[in-house]
Amino acid sequence: MAHEATIPRGAMLRTVFSKTLRDQRKALAWWAAGFAGAILLYSSFWPSVRDNAEQFNEYLRKLPDFLKNLLGQIDYTTPEGYLQSELFVFLAPTLLIVYGIGAGARAVAGEEEAGSLDLLLSVPIRRRRVLVDKFAAMLGAIFLLTTVMWISVVAFGPLFDLRVGLGGFTAMSLNTFLLGMVFGSLALAVGTATGRRSVAIGVASGLAVATFIVNTLGPSVDWLDPFRLLSPFYYYADGNPILNGLDPVHALVLAGVSVAAFVYALWAFERRELTA
Amino acid sequence: MSDAIAVEGLTKSYGSTRGVIDLTFSVGPGEVFGYLGPNGAGKTTTIRTLLDFIRPTRGTATVLGRDSRRDSVEIHRRTGYLPGEGSLYERLTGGEYLRYLAELRGGVDWRVAAGLAERLDCDLSVKIRGLSHGNRQKVALIQAFMHRPELLVLDEPTQGLDPLVQQEFHAMVEEVRREGRTVFLSSHVMPEVERLCDRIAIIREGRLVAVEEVGDLRERQVRMLEIRFAEPPRPDLFDGSPGVSDVAVNGDTIRIRVAGSIDGVVKAAARFEVVDLMSHEPSLEDIFLTYYGKEGDRGA
Repeated sequence: MAHEATIPRGAMLRTVFSKTLRDQRKALAWWAAGFAGAILLYSSFWPSVRDNAEQFNEYLRKLPDFLKNLLGQIDYTTPEGYLQSELFVFLAPTLLIVYGIGAGARAVAGEEEAGSLDLLLSVPIRRRRVLVDKFAAMLGAIFLLTTVMWISVVAFGPLFDLRVGLGGFTAMSLNTFLLGMVFGSLALAVGTATGRRSVAIGVASGLAVATFIVNTLGPSVDWLDPFRLLSPFYYYADGNPILNGLDPVHALVLAGVSVAAFVYALWAFERRELTA
Repeated sequence: MSDAIAVEGLTKSYGSTRGVIDLTFSVGPGEVFGYLGPNGAGKTTTIRTLLDFIRPTRGTATVLGRDSRRDSVEIHRRTGYLPGEGSLYERLTGGEYLRYLAELRGGVDWRVAAGLAERLDCDLSVKIRGLSHGNRQKVALIQAFMHRPELLVLDEPTQGLDPLVQQEFHAMVEEVRREGRTVFLSSHVMPEVERLCDRIAIIREGRLVAVEEVGDLRERQVRMLEIRFAEPPRPDLFDGSPGVSDVAVNGDTIRIRVAGSIDGVVKAAARFEVVDLMSHEPSLEDIFLTYYGKEGDRGA
Protein backbone atom coordinates (compact mmCIF):
# COMPACT_ATOMS: atom_id res chain seq x y z
CA MET A 1 0.00 0.00 0.00
CA ALA A 2 1.39 3.41 -0.92
CA HIS A 3 1.27 6.15 1.63
CA GLU A 4 1.74 9.86 1.59
CA ALA A 5 5.49 10.32 1.37
CA THR A 6 5.54 14.09 1.46
CA ILE A 7 6.85 15.90 4.50
CA PRO A 8 3.97 16.89 6.77
CA ARG A 9 3.56 20.62 7.15
CA GLY A 10 4.84 21.76 10.46
CA ALA A 11 5.90 25.35 10.89
CA MET A 12 4.71 25.01 14.48
CA LEU A 13 6.65 21.78 14.98
CA ARG A 14 10.12 23.25 14.72
CA THR A 15 10.78 23.87 18.39
CA VAL A 16 9.51 22.71 21.76
CA PHE A 17 8.32 26.31 22.26
CA SER A 18 6.13 26.48 19.18
CA LYS A 19 4.89 22.91 19.55
CA THR A 20 3.83 23.64 23.15
CA LEU A 21 1.85 26.68 22.00
CA ARG A 22 0.44 24.68 19.09
CA ASP A 23 -0.92 22.15 21.61
CA GLN A 24 -2.74 24.98 23.37
CA ARG A 25 -4.07 26.79 20.34
CA LYS A 26 -7.66 25.61 20.64
CA ALA A 27 -7.79 26.09 24.40
CA LEU A 28 -6.23 29.53 24.03
CA ALA A 29 -8.78 30.53 21.42
CA TRP A 30 -11.67 29.54 23.69
CA TRP A 31 -10.18 31.25 26.72
CA ALA A 32 -9.56 34.40 24.73
CA ALA A 33 -13.11 34.39 23.37
CA GLY A 34 -14.59 33.87 26.82
CA PHE A 35 -12.42 36.56 28.33
CA ALA A 36 -13.32 39.07 25.62
CA GLY A 37 -16.99 38.16 25.94
CA ALA A 38 -16.97 38.74 29.69
CA ILE A 39 -15.34 42.13 29.22
CA LEU A 40 -17.93 43.06 26.62
CA LEU A 41 -20.64 42.09 29.07
CA TYR A 42 -19.15 44.07 31.97
CA SER A 43 -18.63 47.08 29.71
CA SER A 44 -22.29 47.00 28.73
CA PHE A 45 -23.31 47.23 32.42
CA TRP A 46 -21.27 50.37 32.95
CA PRO A 47 -23.86 53.00 31.88
CA SER A 48 -26.45 51.77 34.38
CA VAL A 49 -23.85 51.59 37.17
CA ARG A 50 -22.79 55.16 36.46
CA ASP A 51 -26.38 56.39 36.33
CA ASN A 52 -27.18 54.82 39.69
CA ALA A 53 -23.97 55.96 41.35
CA GLU A 54 -25.71 57.14 44.52
CA GLN A 55 -27.28 53.79 45.26
CA PHE A 56 -24.07 51.88 44.54
CA ASN A 57 -22.02 54.09 46.83
CA GLU A 58 -24.64 53.72 49.55
CA TYR A 59 -24.43 49.94 49.12
CA LEU A 60 -20.65 49.99 49.22
CA ARG A 61 -20.52 51.95 52.45
CA LYS A 62 -22.36 49.11 54.16
CA LEU A 63 -19.88 46.44 53.03
CA PRO A 64 -17.61 44.85 55.64
CA ASP A 65 -14.05 46.15 55.77
CA PHE A 66 -12.42 43.20 54.10
CA LEU A 67 -14.67 43.55 51.08
CA LYS A 68 -13.77 47.20 50.88
CA ASN A 69 -10.12 46.22 50.99
CA LEU A 70 -10.81 43.72 48.29
CA LEU A 71 -12.31 46.35 46.05
CA GLY A 72 -9.33 48.59 46.54
CA GLN A 73 -11.05 51.60 48.15
CA ILE A 74 -11.68 53.21 44.81
CA ASP A 75 -14.86 55.02 43.96
CA TYR A 76 -16.93 52.34 42.26
CA THR A 77 -18.68 54.90 40.15
CA THR A 78 -15.58 56.10 38.33
CA PRO A 79 -14.53 54.16 35.21
CA GLU A 80 -11.27 53.14 36.94
CA GLY A 81 -13.06 52.03 40.08
CA TYR A 82 -15.59 50.04 38.09
CA LEU A 83 -12.93 48.31 36.02
CA GLN A 84 -10.82 47.61 39.10
CA SER A 85 -13.66 45.96 40.99
CA GLU A 86 -15.20 44.06 38.08
CA LEU A 87 -12.07 42.99 36.23
CA PHE A 88 -8.97 43.19 38.39
CA VAL A 89 -10.25 42.05 41.77
CA PHE A 90 -11.31 38.65 40.65
CA LEU A 91 -11.98 37.84 37.00
CA ALA A 92 -8.66 38.68 35.33
CA PRO A 93 -6.31 37.34 38.03
CA THR A 94 -8.37 34.17 38.36
CA LEU A 95 -8.35 33.48 34.63
CA LEU A 96 -4.65 34.12 34.21
CA ILE A 97 -3.66 32.25 37.36
CA VAL A 98 -5.78 29.23 36.45
CA TYR A 99 -4.42 29.19 32.92
CA GLY A 100 -0.88 29.69 34.17
CA ILE A 101 -1.13 26.89 36.71
CA GLY A 102 -2.53 24.55 34.06
CA ALA A 103 0.23 25.37 31.59
CA GLY A 104 2.94 25.23 34.25
CA ALA A 105 1.78 21.88 35.60
CA ARG A 106 1.57 20.38 32.11
CA ALA A 107 5.00 21.60 31.05
CA VAL A 108 7.06 18.75 32.47
CA ALA A 109 4.81 16.83 34.88
CA GLY A 110 2.08 16.53 32.25
CA GLU A 111 4.47 15.08 29.69
CA GLU A 112 6.02 12.84 32.27
CA GLU A 113 2.68 11.43 33.41
CA ALA A 114 1.53 10.97 29.83
CA GLY A 115 4.75 9.05 29.14
CA SER A 116 5.87 11.28 26.28
CA LEU A 117 8.86 12.85 28.06
CA ASP A 118 11.31 9.99 27.41
CA LEU A 119 11.13 10.36 23.66
CA LEU A 120 11.17 14.15 23.83
CA LEU A 121 14.39 14.01 25.85
CA SER A 122 15.91 11.30 23.65
CA VAL A 123 16.69 13.97 21.04
CA PRO A 124 19.98 15.85 21.26
CA ILE A 125 18.66 18.79 23.27
CA ARG A 126 19.61 19.67 26.81
CA ARG A 127 16.96 19.31 29.43
CA ARG A 128 17.31 22.94 30.37
CA ARG A 129 16.65 23.97 26.79
CA VAL A 130 13.41 22.01 26.81
CA LEU A 131 12.42 23.73 30.04
CA VAL A 132 13.31 27.20 28.73
CA ASP A 133 11.04 26.53 25.74
CA LYS A 134 8.22 25.28 27.95
CA PHE A 135 8.53 28.30 30.22
CA ALA A 136 8.60 30.65 27.25
CA ALA A 137 5.48 29.02 25.84
CA MET A 138 3.66 29.50 29.15
CA LEU A 139 4.77 33.12 29.21
CA GLY A 140 3.59 33.56 25.63
CA ALA A 141 0.16 32.11 26.37
CA ILE A 142 -0.37 34.24 29.49
CA PHE A 143 0.86 37.29 27.65
CA LEU A 144 -1.53 36.58 24.80
CA LEU A 145 -4.52 36.36 27.16
CA THR A 146 -3.42 39.58 28.87
CA THR A 147 -3.20 41.28 25.49
CA VAL A 148 -6.68 40.04 24.58
CA MET A 149 -7.94 41.55 27.84
CA TRP A 150 -6.21 44.85 27.17
CA ILE A 151 -7.51 45.10 23.64
CA SER A 152 -11.03 44.10 24.71
CA VAL A 153 -11.22 46.88 27.28
CA VAL A 154 -9.78 49.44 24.90
CA ALA A 155 -12.07 48.30 22.07
CA PHE A 156 -15.35 47.52 23.89
CA GLY A 157 -15.18 50.10 26.72
CA PRO A 158 -15.77 53.21 24.60
CA LEU A 159 -18.84 51.58 23.01
CA PHE A 160 -20.44 52.02 26.44
CA ASP A 161 -18.61 55.19 27.38
CA LEU A 162 -16.25 53.27 29.68
CA ARG A 163 -12.99 55.15 29.23
CA VAL A 164 -10.04 54.59 31.54
CA GLY A 165 -6.60 56.18 31.73
CA LEU A 166 -4.37 53.98 29.58
CA GLY A 167 -1.31 54.31 31.84
CA GLY A 168 -2.96 52.96 34.98
CA PHE A 169 -4.93 50.35 33.05
CA THR A 170 -1.80 49.12 31.31
CA ALA A 171 0.06 49.00 34.63
CA MET A 172 -2.71 46.88 36.14
CA SER A 173 -2.71 44.64 33.05
CA LEU A 174 1.03 44.13 33.42
CA ASN A 175 0.59 43.24 37.09
CA THR A 176 -2.10 40.72 36.18
CA PHE A 177 0.23 39.15 33.65
CA LEU A 178 2.97 38.96 36.28
CA LEU A 179 0.57 37.46 38.82
CA GLY A 180 -0.36 34.74 36.33
CA MET A 181 3.34 34.13 35.75
CA VAL A 182 4.04 33.85 39.49
CA PHE A 183 1.59 31.00 40.01
CA GLY A 184 2.27 29.44 36.61
CA SER A 185 5.99 29.36 37.43
CA LEU A 186 5.31 27.86 40.85
CA ALA A 187 3.24 25.10 39.24
CA LEU A 188 5.97 24.55 36.66
CA ALA A 189 8.61 24.35 39.39
CA VAL A 190 6.67 21.91 41.57
CA GLY A 191 5.71 19.82 38.54
CA THR A 192 9.29 19.71 37.33
CA ALA A 193 10.64 18.78 40.74
CA THR A 194 8.05 16.09 41.47
CA GLY A 195 6.92 14.91 38.05
CA ARG A 196 3.36 14.99 39.32
CA ARG A 197 0.76 17.24 37.78
CA SER A 198 -1.77 16.95 40.59
CA VAL A 199 0.84 17.99 43.16
CA ALA A 200 1.84 20.95 41.00
CA ILE A 201 -1.75 22.09 40.59
CA GLY A 202 -2.57 21.49 44.25
CA VAL A 203 0.42 23.35 45.65
CA ALA A 204 0.16 26.30 43.26
CA SER A 205 -3.58 26.81 43.59
CA GLY A 206 -3.43 26.26 47.35
CA LEU A 207 -0.81 28.99 47.57
CA ALA A 208 -2.93 31.24 45.38
CA VAL A 209 -5.99 30.87 47.60
CA ALA A 210 -4.00 31.22 50.84
CA THR A 211 -2.06 34.31 49.77
CA PHE A 212 -5.24 35.86 48.38
CA ILE A 213 -6.95 35.42 51.75
CA VAL A 214 -3.95 36.75 53.66
CA ASN A 215 -3.84 39.86 51.50
CA THR A 216 -7.59 40.44 51.69
CA LEU A 217 -8.03 39.89 55.42
CA GLY A 218 -4.68 41.40 56.39
CA PRO A 219 -5.88 44.98 56.83
CA SER A 220 -8.70 43.86 59.14
CA VAL A 221 -6.78 41.28 61.18
CA ASP A 222 -3.86 42.77 63.07
CA TRP A 223 -1.66 39.72 63.41
CA LEU A 224 -2.14 38.83 59.75
CA ASP A 225 -1.21 42.25 58.47
CA PRO A 226 2.60 41.81 58.36
CA PHE A 227 2.18 38.63 56.33
CA ARG A 228 0.61 40.59 53.50
CA LEU A 229 4.14 41.30 52.35
CA LEU A 230 4.45 37.59 51.55
CA SER A 231 1.39 37.64 49.33
CA PRO A 232 1.80 38.16 45.56
CA PHE A 233 -1.64 39.77 45.62
CA TYR A 234 -0.25 42.56 47.77
CA TYR A 235 2.31 43.45 45.11
CA TYR A 236 -0.35 43.03 42.47
CA ALA A 237 -2.87 45.58 43.69
CA ASP A 238 -1.44 47.57 46.58
CA GLY A 239 -1.23 51.30 45.94
CA ASN A 240 -3.98 51.23 43.30
CA PRO A 241 -1.86 51.07 40.16
CA ILE A 242 -4.97 51.71 38.06
CA LEU A 243 -5.03 55.25 39.46
CA ASN A 244 -1.42 55.81 40.39
CA GLY A 245 0.42 53.89 37.70
CA LEU A 246 2.95 51.13 37.94
CA ASP A 247 4.94 50.59 41.13
CA PRO A 248 8.19 49.28 39.61
CA VAL A 249 9.33 47.69 42.87
CA HIS A 250 6.11 45.73 43.19
CA ALA A 251 6.30 44.60 39.57
CA LEU A 252 9.91 43.55 40.08
CA VAL A 253 8.99 41.51 43.15
CA LEU A 254 6.40 39.61 41.12
CA ALA A 255 8.80 39.10 38.23
CA GLY A 256 11.52 38.04 40.66
CA VAL A 257 9.35 35.34 42.26
CA SER A 258 8.50 33.97 38.83
CA VAL A 259 12.13 33.94 37.73
CA ALA A 260 13.28 32.39 41.01
CA ALA A 261 10.74 29.57 40.65
CA PHE A 262 11.91 29.01 37.08
CA VAL A 263 15.59 28.93 38.05
CA TYR A 264 14.76 26.41 40.75
CA ALA A 265 12.93 24.32 38.14
CA LEU A 266 16.01 24.40 35.87
CA TRP A 267 18.17 23.21 38.72
CA ALA A 268 15.72 20.50 39.75
CA PHE A 269 15.15 19.22 36.21
CA GLU A 270 18.84 18.57 35.59
CA ARG A 271 18.96 16.41 38.70
CA ARG A 272 15.67 14.63 38.24
CA GLU A 273 15.26 10.93 37.79
CA LEU A 274 12.51 10.76 35.21
CA THR A 275 9.69 8.32 35.68
CA ALA A 276 9.22 5.97 32.78
CA MET B 1 37.21 1.03 17.52
CA SER B 2 35.88 1.27 21.07
CA ASP B 3 32.84 -0.50 22.41
CA ALA B 4 29.44 0.78 21.43
CA ILE B 5 28.29 0.28 24.99
CA ALA B 6 30.41 -0.42 28.04
CA VAL B 7 28.76 -0.79 31.42
CA GLU B 8 30.89 -1.16 34.53
CA GLY B 9 29.65 -2.02 37.96
CA LEU B 10 26.38 -0.32 37.14
CA THR B 11 24.04 -0.27 40.10
CA LYS B 12 20.73 1.46 40.39
CA SER B 13 18.91 1.16 43.69
CA TYR B 14 15.38 2.26 44.27
CA GLY B 15 15.40 1.35 47.92
CA SER B 16 13.06 -1.56 47.25
CA THR B 17 14.03 -4.69 45.38
CA ARG B 18 13.72 -3.19 41.92
CA GLY B 19 16.74 -1.82 40.14
CA VAL B 20 19.95 -3.34 38.84
CA ILE B 21 22.97 -4.57 40.75
CA ASP B 22 26.60 -4.41 39.70
CA LEU B 23 26.14 -4.92 35.96
CA THR B 24 29.26 -5.23 33.85
CA PHE B 25 29.13 -5.99 30.14
CA SER B 26 30.07 -4.47 26.83
CA VAL B 27 28.63 -4.39 23.34
CA GLY B 28 31.02 -4.26 20.43
CA PRO B 29 30.55 -2.00 17.43
CA GLY B 30 28.40 -3.59 14.76
CA GLU B 31 27.02 -6.14 17.15
CA VAL B 32 23.35 -7.02 17.56
CA PHE B 33 23.10 -7.56 21.27
CA GLY B 34 20.11 -9.06 23.02
CA TYR B 35 19.18 -8.16 26.56
CA LEU B 36 16.97 -10.92 27.78
CA GLY B 37 15.02 -11.16 30.99
CA PRO B 38 11.54 -11.47 32.42
CA ASN B 39 9.45 -8.38 32.98
CA GLY B 40 10.68 -6.46 35.98
CA ALA B 41 14.21 -7.86 35.77
CA GLY B 42 15.78 -4.46 35.23
CA LYS B 43 16.01 -4.23 31.44
CA THR B 44 14.27 -0.88 31.19
CA THR B 45 16.22 0.47 34.16
CA THR B 46 19.47 -0.38 32.38
CA ILE B 47 18.34 1.18 29.12
CA ARG B 48 17.08 4.38 30.71
CA THR B 49 20.41 4.74 32.52
CA LEU B 50 22.28 4.46 29.22
CA LEU B 51 20.22 7.39 27.94
CA ASP B 52 20.59 9.45 31.12
CA PHE B 53 16.90 9.54 32.02
CA ILE B 54 17.92 8.03 35.35
CA ARG B 55 21.33 8.14 36.98
CA PRO B 56 23.40 5.26 38.32
CA THR B 57 23.69 4.85 42.07
CA ARG B 58 27.15 3.39 41.44
CA GLY B 59 29.19 2.46 38.41
CA THR B 60 29.40 3.98 34.97
CA ALA B 61 27.96 3.56 31.53
CA THR B 62 29.84 4.55 28.41
CA VAL B 63 27.89 4.82 25.18
CA LEU B 64 29.68 5.28 21.86
CA GLY B 65 32.79 6.09 23.82
CA ARG B 66 31.07 8.88 25.77
CA ASP B 67 30.08 9.14 29.37
CA SER B 68 26.34 8.59 29.75
CA ARG B 69 25.97 11.46 32.19
CA ARG B 70 28.33 14.10 30.88
CA ASP B 71 27.83 13.62 27.15
CA SER B 72 24.17 12.67 26.99
CA VAL B 73 23.39 15.18 24.25
CA GLU B 74 26.01 13.73 21.91
CA ILE B 75 24.91 10.21 22.78
CA HIS B 76 21.32 11.14 21.97
CA ARG B 77 22.40 12.61 18.64
CA ARG B 78 24.03 9.36 17.60
CA THR B 79 21.47 7.00 19.10
CA GLY B 80 17.97 5.92 18.14
CA TYR B 81 15.77 5.01 21.08
CA LEU B 82 12.58 3.04 21.29
CA PRO B 83 10.98 3.20 24.74
CA GLY B 84 9.38 0.10 26.18
CA GLU B 85 6.46 2.03 27.55
CA GLY B 86 5.25 5.54 27.24
CA SER B 87 3.24 7.32 24.65
CA LEU B 88 3.42 9.56 21.65
CA TYR B 89 1.56 12.85 21.31
CA GLU B 90 -2.06 11.85 20.86
CA ARG B 91 -3.06 15.01 19.05
CA LEU B 92 -0.43 14.83 16.33
CA THR B 93 -0.58 12.61 13.29
CA GLY B 94 2.16 10.03 12.96
CA GLY B 95 3.78 12.19 10.30
CA GLU B 96 3.61 15.33 12.43
CA TYR B 97 5.13 13.48 15.33
CA LEU B 98 8.04 12.27 13.20
CA ARG B 99 8.41 15.75 11.75
CA TYR B 100 8.61 17.23 15.25
CA LEU B 101 11.31 14.82 16.42
CA ALA B 102 13.14 15.28 13.13
CA GLU B 103 13.13 19.06 13.59
CA LEU B 104 14.41 18.70 17.14
CA ARG B 105 17.17 16.47 15.80
CA GLY B 106 18.14 19.22 13.38
CA GLY B 107 16.56 17.58 10.36
CA VAL B 108 16.60 14.07 8.93
CA ASP B 109 16.36 12.74 5.40
CA TRP B 110 12.61 12.50 5.07
CA ARG B 111 12.90 9.83 2.38
CA VAL B 112 14.26 7.49 5.05
CA ALA B 113 11.28 8.12 7.30
CA ALA B 114 8.83 7.78 4.42
CA GLY B 115 10.58 4.60 3.27
CA LEU B 116 10.31 3.07 6.72
CA ALA B 117 6.63 3.99 6.90
CA GLU B 118 6.13 2.28 3.57
CA ARG B 119 7.92 -0.87 4.69
CA LEU B 120 6.02 -1.12 7.94
CA ASP B 121 2.76 -0.19 6.23
CA CYS B 122 2.24 2.69 8.60
CA ASP B 123 -0.23 5.41 7.64
CA LEU B 124 1.36 8.66 8.81
CA SER B 125 -1.68 10.81 8.08
CA VAL B 126 -3.74 9.41 10.98
CA LYS B 127 -3.82 11.09 14.36
CA ILE B 128 -1.95 9.00 16.93
CA ARG B 129 -5.06 9.07 19.11
CA GLY B 130 -6.73 6.90 16.46
CA LEU B 131 -3.93 4.34 16.11
CA SER B 132 -3.88 0.83 17.51
CA HIS B 133 -1.08 -0.22 19.83
CA GLY B 134 0.72 -1.95 16.99
CA ASN B 135 0.52 1.10 14.75
CA ARG B 136 1.81 3.37 17.50
CA GLN B 137 4.71 0.97 17.89
CA LYS B 138 5.42 1.38 14.18
CA VAL B 139 5.61 5.16 14.51
CA ALA B 140 7.92 4.75 17.50
CA LEU B 141 10.12 2.36 15.51
CA ILE B 142 10.34 4.78 12.60
CA GLN B 143 11.52 7.62 14.83
CA ALA B 144 14.22 5.36 16.25
CA PHE B 145 15.52 4.37 12.80
CA MET B 146 14.85 7.49 10.73
CA HIS B 147 18.05 9.39 11.44
CA ARG B 148 20.15 6.33 10.67
CA PRO B 149 21.85 6.32 14.08
CA GLU B 150 25.10 4.52 14.84
CA LEU B 151 23.45 2.83 17.78
CA LEU B 152 19.88 1.65 18.22
CA VAL B 153 18.62 1.09 21.75
CA LEU B 154 15.31 -0.74 21.51
CA ASP B 155 13.26 -1.68 24.55
CA GLU B 156 10.96 -4.58 23.68
CA PRO B 157 10.75 -3.56 20.02
CA THR B 158 8.30 -6.16 18.76
CA GLN B 159 5.67 -5.72 21.45
CA GLY B 160 2.30 -5.49 19.81
CA LEU B 161 3.58 -5.95 16.25
CA ASP B 162 1.82 -8.51 14.13
CA PRO B 163 4.00 -11.29 12.67
CA LEU B 164 4.38 -9.76 9.21
CA VAL B 165 5.55 -6.47 10.65
CA GLN B 166 7.85 -8.35 12.99
CA GLN B 167 9.49 -9.91 9.96
CA GLU B 168 9.97 -6.50 8.39
CA PHE B 169 11.47 -5.30 11.65
CA HIS B 170 13.86 -8.24 11.64
CA ALA B 171 14.91 -7.25 8.13
CA MET B 172 15.51 -3.69 9.31
CA VAL B 173 17.76 -4.96 12.10
CA GLU B 174 19.55 -7.17 9.59
CA GLU B 175 20.27 -4.15 7.41
CA VAL B 176 21.58 -2.20 10.34
CA ARG B 177 23.90 -5.08 11.13
CA ARG B 178 25.14 -5.24 7.54
CA GLU B 179 25.94 -1.55 7.64
CA GLY B 180 28.09 -2.09 10.70
CA ARG B 181 25.81 -0.19 13.04
CA THR B 182 25.03 -1.49 16.50
CA VAL B 183 21.75 -2.69 17.99
CA PHE B 184 21.00 -3.18 21.67
CA LEU B 185 17.57 -4.71 22.10
CA SER B 186 15.72 -6.00 25.10
CA SER B 187 13.18 -8.75 25.08
CA HIS B 188 11.48 -11.22 27.34
CA VAL B 189 11.12 -13.89 24.69
CA MET B 190 13.99 -16.16 23.77
CA PRO B 191 13.18 -17.03 20.13
CA GLU B 192 13.27 -13.39 19.08
CA VAL B 193 16.70 -12.61 20.48
CA GLU B 194 17.97 -15.98 19.38
CA ARG B 195 17.00 -15.15 15.85
CA LEU B 196 18.28 -11.59 15.72
CA CYS B 197 21.26 -11.37 18.01
CA ASP B 198 24.91 -12.26 17.95
CA ARG B 199 25.24 -12.24 21.69
CA ILE B 200 22.80 -12.27 24.54
CA ALA B 201 22.98 -11.03 28.09
CA ILE B 202 20.54 -12.60 30.47
CA ILE B 203 19.35 -10.53 33.38
CA ARG B 204 17.27 -11.69 36.26
CA GLU B 205 16.17 -9.82 39.36
CA GLY B 206 18.56 -7.01 38.57
CA ARG B 207 21.64 -9.21 38.19
CA LEU B 208 23.46 -10.31 35.08
CA VAL B 209 23.14 -14.09 34.88
CA ALA B 210 25.18 -14.70 31.76
CA VAL B 211 26.53 -13.15 28.59
CA GLU B 212 26.75 -15.70 25.80
CA GLU B 213 27.19 -16.10 22.09
CA VAL B 214 23.87 -17.21 20.67
CA GLY B 215 25.51 -20.34 19.26
CA ASP B 216 26.88 -21.38 22.67
CA LEU B 217 23.57 -20.72 24.30
CA ARG B 218 21.80 -22.90 21.77
CA GLU B 219 24.17 -25.75 22.52
CA ARG B 220 23.31 -25.58 26.17
CA GLN B 221 19.70 -24.84 25.66
CA VAL B 222 17.11 -26.88 27.45
CA ARG B 223 14.02 -28.03 25.58
CA MET B 224 10.88 -29.79 26.62
CA LEU B 225 10.05 -32.54 24.16
CA GLU B 226 6.76 -34.39 24.00
CA ILE B 227 6.73 -37.51 21.87
CA ARG B 228 3.68 -39.64 21.19
CA PHE B 229 4.22 -43.20 20.05
CA ALA B 230 1.91 -45.71 18.39
CA GLU B 231 2.37 -47.91 21.44
CA PRO B 232 3.16 -47.01 25.05
CA PRO B 233 6.94 -46.48 25.25
CA ARG B 234 9.30 -47.98 27.78
CA PRO B 235 10.27 -45.47 30.48
CA ASP B 236 13.96 -46.33 30.04
CA LEU B 237 13.80 -45.57 26.31
CA PHE B 238 16.14 -42.57 26.55
CA ASP B 239 18.41 -43.82 29.30
CA GLY B 240 21.44 -43.82 27.03
CA SER B 241 20.75 -40.49 25.32
CA PRO B 242 22.84 -37.49 26.42
CA GLY B 243 21.26 -34.52 28.21
CA VAL B 244 17.95 -36.20 29.02
CA SER B 245 16.22 -35.65 32.37
CA ASP B 246 12.77 -35.44 33.93
CA VAL B 247 11.29 -38.36 32.00
CA ALA B 248 7.55 -38.73 32.42
CA VAL B 249 5.47 -41.34 30.70
CA ASN B 250 1.75 -40.94 30.35
CA GLY B 251 0.08 -43.66 28.33
CA ASP B 252 1.51 -43.50 24.83
CA THR B 253 3.18 -40.13 25.39
CA ILE B 254 6.57 -39.40 26.89
CA ARG B 255 7.72 -36.02 28.10
CA ILE B 256 11.39 -35.30 28.61
CA ARG B 257 13.72 -32.42 29.22
CA VAL B 258 16.72 -32.32 26.89
CA ALA B 259 19.77 -30.13 27.38
CA GLY B 260 21.81 -29.31 24.29
CA SER B 261 21.46 -31.30 21.08
CA ILE B 262 18.32 -33.38 20.66
CA ASP B 263 20.03 -35.61 18.10
CA GLY B 264 20.44 -38.57 20.48
CA VAL B 265 16.82 -38.40 21.55
CA VAL B 266 15.48 -38.26 18.01
CA LYS B 267 17.59 -41.27 17.00
CA ALA B 268 16.50 -43.27 20.03
CA ALA B 269 12.85 -42.47 19.39
CA ALA B 270 13.14 -43.33 15.71
CA ARG B 271 13.49 -47.02 16.56
CA PHE B 272 9.76 -46.99 17.33
CA GLU B 273 6.75 -45.65 15.50
CA VAL B 274 6.46 -41.95 16.32
CA VAL B 275 2.97 -40.44 15.94
CA ASP B 276 3.76 -36.92 17.02
CA LEU B 277 6.71 -34.88 18.23
CA MET B 278 6.39 -31.48 19.83
CA SER B 279 9.19 -29.23 20.98
CA HIS B 280 8.11 -26.52 23.36
CA GLU B 281 9.75 -23.15 23.13
CA PRO B 282 11.96 -22.94 26.13
CA SER B 283 10.59 -20.57 28.70
CA LEU B 284 12.92 -18.14 30.38
CA GLU B 285 12.74 -20.34 33.43
CA ASP B 286 14.08 -23.21 31.36
CA ILE B 287 16.91 -21.00 30.18
CA PHE B 288 17.73 -19.94 33.70
CA LEU B 289 17.81 -23.60 34.65
CA THR B 290 20.59 -23.98 32.15
CA TYR B 291 22.61 -21.69 34.36
CA TYR B 292 21.38 -22.47 37.79
CA GLY B 293 20.98 -26.19 37.37
CA LYS B 294 18.19 -27.99 39.13
CA GLU B 295 19.03 -26.52 42.48
CA GLY B 296 18.69 -23.00 41.09
CA ASP B 297 15.95 -21.08 42.78
CA ARG B 298 12.89 -20.85 40.63
CA GLY B 299 11.14 -18.51 42.96
CA ALA B 300 10.04 -14.94 42.39
